[in-house]
Order: sequence, then C-alpha cells, then structure tokens
Amino acid sequence: MTTVLTWRWPTPSGRLPLPLVGSVLALLLTLWLTAPIVEVDFVRLFASGGKMLAFAGQMFVTPDWAYVPQLLAKMLETMEMTVLATAIAVVISIPLGVLAARNATPHVVVYRLSRDLLSLMRALPELVWALVFVSAVGLGPLPGVMALAFVTVGFMGKFFAESIEVVDHKAVEGVRAHGAGWLQVRLFAMLPQALPDFVGTVMYILDHNLRAAAILGLVGAGGIGYDLVMSMRLFQYERLLLIALAIYLVVTALDRASDSFRRRILNGIKQ
Amino acid sequence: MSDISIQAVTKRFPNGFEALKGIHVAIKPGSFTIILGPSGAGKSTLLRLMNGLETPTSGSVHIGGEVVNGKQLRRIRSKVAMVFQQFNLIDRLSVVTNVLTGRLAHRSWVGSVFYLFRNEDMGIAQEALSRVALTDKAWNRADKLSGGQQQRVGIARALAQRPKIILADEPVASLDPVSSEEIMTLLRDICDRDGITVVVNLHQVELARRFADRIIGMNSGKIVFDGSPAQMTQTALHTIYQREGIENDNSLDMALAYA
Amino acid sequence: MTLLKPKLVASLSKTLPPRPRSPVPVWLALTLALLWMIVYDLELSFETLAYGLADMGEYFSRYGKPDFTDLSRYVHLMGITLATALWGTVFALVVAFFLAPLAARNFAPNVVIYRIARELLNFMRAMPDLLLALIFVTALGLGPLPGALALGVHTAGFLGKFFAESLERVDKGVCDGVASTGANFAQMVMYAGWPSILREASGNVLYILDRNVRMASVLGLVGAGGIGLALHDTLRLFEYGQSAALILVILATILLIDYASAWLRKRLD
Repeated sequence: MTTVLTWRWPTPSGRLPLPLVGSVLALLLTLWLTAPIVEVDFVRLFASGGKMLAFAGQMFVTPDWAYVPQLLAKMLETMEMTVLATAIAVVISIPLGVLAARNATPHVVVYRLSRDLLSLMRALPELVWALVFVSAVGLGPLPGVMALAFVTVGFMGKFFAESIEVVDHKAVEGVRAHGAGWLQVRLFAMLPQALPDFVGTVMYILDHNLRAAAILGLVGAGGIGYDLVMSMRLFQYERLLLIALAIYLVVTALDRASDSFRRRILNGIKQ
Repeated sequence: MSDISIQAVTKRFPNGFEALKGIHVAIKPGSFTIILGPSGAGKSTLLRLMNGLETPTSGSVHIGGEVVNGKQLRRIRSKVAMVFQQFNLIDRLSVVTNVLTGRLAHRSWVGSVFYLFRNEDMGIAQEALSRVALTDKAWNRADKLSGGQQQRVGIARALAQRPKIILADEPVASLDPVSSEEIMTLLRDICDRDGITVVVNLHQVELARRFADRIIGMNSGKIVFDGSPAQMTQTALHTIYQREGIENDNSLDMALAYA
Repeated sequence: MTLLKPKLVASLSKTLPPRPRSPVPVWLALTLALLWMIVYDLELSFETLAYGLADMGEYFSRYGKPDFTDLSRYVHLMGITLATALWGTVFALVVAFFLAPLAARNFAPNVVIYRIARELLNFMRAMPDLLLALIFVTALGLGPLPGALALGVHTAGFLGKFFAESLERVDKGVCDGVASTGANFAQMVMYAGWPSILREASGNVLYILDRNVRMASVLGLVGAGGIGLALHDTLRLFEYGQSAALILVILATILLIDYASAWLRKRLD
C-alpha cells in the first residue's frame, strides 16, 4: 500500500477542489514565467546575503552628529508637509465627498463625475505627481504638498463618500421632515453621523502620508527624501544611519499616537 | 484513566470575582453527572477546569491521576472532549472537517496542517457522524445547519476523539425543547453504551431529573447539593436556586469576568 | 441598594443649566494656528502658488499631445513593473502568513514571541519601501529584484499587522472549540485561525497588490527597475509628449488592476 493512498483531503473525492488547485497552479505558473523578468535568482539572493551583512556592518559607524540640526530641520519639514497636505485635503474632501455620496449628491450626473474624478486623482502615486509639479513650480516643499494633497483628496474623498453612504437614513428623514434645507440636512444629519469614520480615515491617511512625504524629497519635492538618497549615493553611512533611525522613530511615534487617539477619542464620540 | 478529581479548588478572576470557593468533587468513570444551578453559580468555570480551559487559583484538578496542565495538557485534552452551548464549530468548514478536528491530537500533526487525514481518521469521523445521524449532511458547511444539527456535529467531534470523558457546557441552552431532548438522549446513550464518563452543565431542572445518575447542585461558587435525582426535593431545589438578595447577585460580575 | 424613585415634581428653575463648554472651537483655533505656522515655516508663499497655478494651465497643455512612438517599450516596462509588484506581494504574503499568528495575542505561544513578532512587523512597516529599495540596490545591484524585495519586506509588515488584527478578532468560542480537542499551535492556526478570517484576509491581499503596483511604478526612480526611471528621464529632458504617454500607460494599468481586484473581491464573497 503506497503512502499516497493512506492520506486524503476532507472532500467527497478525497482530492482538493479543482478551482483551488487551478488558481494555485495559475499563480505558480505566472510566478515562474515572470521570474526572469524580475531577475529572481535565488543563487544571487543567497550570495548577496553576504553583501547585505557587509552593508549592515558598514552602517555601524559613528553617526555624523554635526548633521543632526539639518536632519531635524528636514524631518520637521517632512512632518509639516504631511500635516498641511492632509489639512488641505480634508477641506476639499468634505464637500467632494458629499457630492460623491449616492445619498447626499444633488444629481446622479454629479455623483458619477465626482466618483470618476476621485478615481483619477488617486490613480497615480504621489511621487509621479511630485515629479510633474516639481517640473511645473520648481523645487522645494510646495510641489510636495500639492502632490500629497492631490492624491490624498482622491482617497479621502472616496472614504468620506462611503462613510456618508452608510449613515442611518432615519435620522436624515427626521431632519428633513422638519423642513430643513438641502445644506442643513447634510450639515446636521449626515456629516455628524459620519464624523467618527471621518476621524478614523484622517488618522489612517496621516499615517500613510508621513511615509509618503519622507520619500518625496527624492525628486526634489521637499522633506528628508533628498538627503536620504544622497547619503546612499555618496556612501555617507554616518548620515544614513541617523536618517533611517529618525524616520523609523517618527513613523512609529505617529503610529502609536494615532492608535491611542483612535481608541480614546473615537470611543468618546461613538458613545 | 477517566476519573475526575477536583480538590480544594478556588477560582478568582483578575477582576476580583470569586467564581469557585473551595470546591471538592470526585467523579467516577462511566458515570453520568449533571451539574445544576442558576447563572453565575460557577458551573461553566468548574467544567472548564476539567480540560484546562481555566486554571485554578488554588487547589488541584486531576484526571486519571494526572494534573491538568503543563506538558500533558494536550494529551489529556485528546481524551477529554467538550461540547459547547454555542456549538463552537468552524463555520466556513464542512461538517466532516469539523468532526475531523477531533482527531487533531491523535496523530502526527504534519499532515493535519495541510488538511490531510489518514483513511483511518476518515473512518472514525464517518462512524461518529452516523452515530449522531448526520451522514447526509456530511459535506455541508457547518453554519448552514440548524442549531440542533450543529450541536450534533459538536457531539460527533467529541466522539471522534474517542474520549474517555465528555464535558458538555450548557449543551441545550440555545436549542428548542425537541432538539434539547434529542441531544440529552444522545449524551445519555453515549454514556450507557460506550462507557464514557459524561458531565453536563444545565439549568433546566426537569432535564436534570430525567437524565442524571447524580446531580451536583451549585450556587454562588459552592456545592449545595450532591445526590441522586430522587434525593432532590423541593427544599434542595430552593437551596440551589435561592438568591440571597440583590446585594449578593453576582451574575453581573460573572458576565464581566468572562468579558 | 434600594431603587431611587424619580422625582416627578416640577423643577423650580425656569432656565436651562449652563451649557457645557465645548472643546471644539479651541481645537479648531489651535489647528488653524498650527497650519499658519507651517505655511510660514515652509516658506510657502501664495505668490509662488498663484504664479504656479497661472502657469499650470499652460504647463499642462504641454502634455496635450502624448507621443506613443515608443509604446512597445513602455508596455514592456509596465510589464516588468507588474511582475515586480506580483513577486513583492507574494513574498509579503508568505512572510505575513508565518509571522501574523505569532503576532496575534490569542494565538501566540507566549508573550515574548508575541512582542518580538509585533515589533518585527512594525519595523518592516516603518521603513519606507524606497529606503529599502535603495539598500537592496546597493546589495544586489540595479534591476527589478531589489524593488520586489523592498516591496515584499515593507508590505509584509502591513499584511502581517492586518492579519494579526483579524486573527485577534476571531470568536473565542471557536478557538476554545479547537483547543479543547488538544490541538497544538500550528493546528489552532490552520483550523481556528485562517478559515475564520479568509474573507478579510483576501481583501487585504488584494489591497496590498493594488498598492504594490503603484509603488512599483515609482521604484524605478532609484534604479529598481520598471517604468519609473523612464518617466524620470523624460521629465528631466522636458520631453512632455513622451512623459504624457508614459503617464497614460501607468494610469491605464493601475485603473485596470483596480477593476480587476474589485471584480475578484466580488467573486470571492
């Protein structure tokens, strides 16, 4: 009796279901076919393990303490870009979100157009827009803020619209029944209900935008990104270590802060 | 190997609530015992001590002479099966797979991680399913069954373990009277025919009277009655079910302790 | 404790009690002050913005005539980008599959392992993928492989966190049910864990795949292969026609992936 026959899967036929096997095989096939495109080479990976360790070893050098003031300035700039871009996006996303919500939009056509506009706004990554805006208005944090705000509106508008679409319609009907006008219905019945979700969304996006802002400097759009890339290219590991550490600390701090904020404040609003 | 011994057990939860106060229980192999009492009496805690889902704050729990914790916990659990009030089946998976989880501790686990089972295990599962009369629902998703059927799957899972002891924690509390009758009859039958020790938590007095060999009455973490159904008079019932005034109502504490 | 009977006598006071102070105006004022300070500190002047916006119309018109002569090369590059994203996502999935149960409080074998796994996932998330890509390019040379690896490591952190949070929400009863049969850690994870969160988990994977396609298209900027480098070059050389074409290719691909993943999501439900 061969071993194959003594084991079986918990299905009527004893074999795995065909759709499951089919999709897994399709995936494996795609991976195998694209491996040369991605230049996946396990030999190379293992060989480079040594190089990685050597690189990591090089990182353990005395940090360039003289660089710290500039590092702090750049990190501050990164954080400022994040906050400003997110704030601008919030202001634009609330009305846009209302227009893009099926239950709050003035007209179906407006709804469709808003949804498509938001979809396009978030289609391209921030860095692409940063490239374009740098080309348009020059270097510095301005194109970075613009790019971040633009893409953020795309995501935030969509999330806001979805939050508005799931508000309790009974409360809305109640306000309407008292003769409230178009704007009042939205301001007093819909937005307050969607508020907890809004806040959660903003927190999540702040988190994401900080990571994005840290990179934009790569193309000259402000923040720590430029220093980051330069220090790599010039093998200035004393700086790179500090930069990586600073990014890690700030991102983690925001992470924890937004987690605890979410827990405390949101529970208060939600009651 | 299937006698249960609980000695001087006290259980205090982190929020301060004392669910069990100095309990002594010895359960003989092959017996059918029903633990009766109001909500918050400590029935669930007592039962869950027997398979290690709760640990005593002081005192000891032994099964077949072995302490219920540490390295032998998994081995003891493979011989002590549990049936739950909420069935606790894996909703997405089929009835058969749910029953097969009863075999997880019995064989080398490498195959089971890949959802592979030996033919022998499939045979045991089929046997268990036919014992609870659910063979025709074998390949259905577990959550597509009625409450009574799901509980029967729970019992089949327990049977698949080929256990020495079956613990049932309020097995019929979520079921209608007809299904409750079915389940209790099934459990009684399993005890009588297979010689498996059965311990059931209930709050329905009538079922306790009809099915038990021995009734253990609990109230506020203490045992207040221990005897046969015949010995359970109205006075005894009062002792079990009395509430000593609102000050001592700890069903809220109980609910909080398990939150 | 006796029940208090509510007082049904009329209140002697005819006016409402003083309205509680709402913190909202204070927070709003603080936020506005903060934003003003930021605008000042970043030296953003409305002047440059106004000039920029005025020029914007003219500037964007330069993108009006996309130049598709090199289209086959662009599509090829986009293919590399997609493949990079796929490999990165699969790598992330494999790593997250093993790390997530260890980072879930109710499945982790002990508290120490739980803490370590959580910290590891946090670390992987905190490092921007671009930074990781830079590091891997140094170690592995140029090409799409360091990009795939960077995406994989970074998104493994996200996926791991999503999975772990889903696992922590699994019904305790279901876990008790499997545990009571004597299952070990691996069996608990495979029977009580993954089947219970399959729907959420597949949604997360699709989201991450989507995200990785976007990131992969810019990783080329650091030499990690794909279409990003081409766009950077064309913009630097002010080749607006070609830039427009490249942007359209990226846009089309991302929208396609969006539709595909939305479709998949509907089918998996």
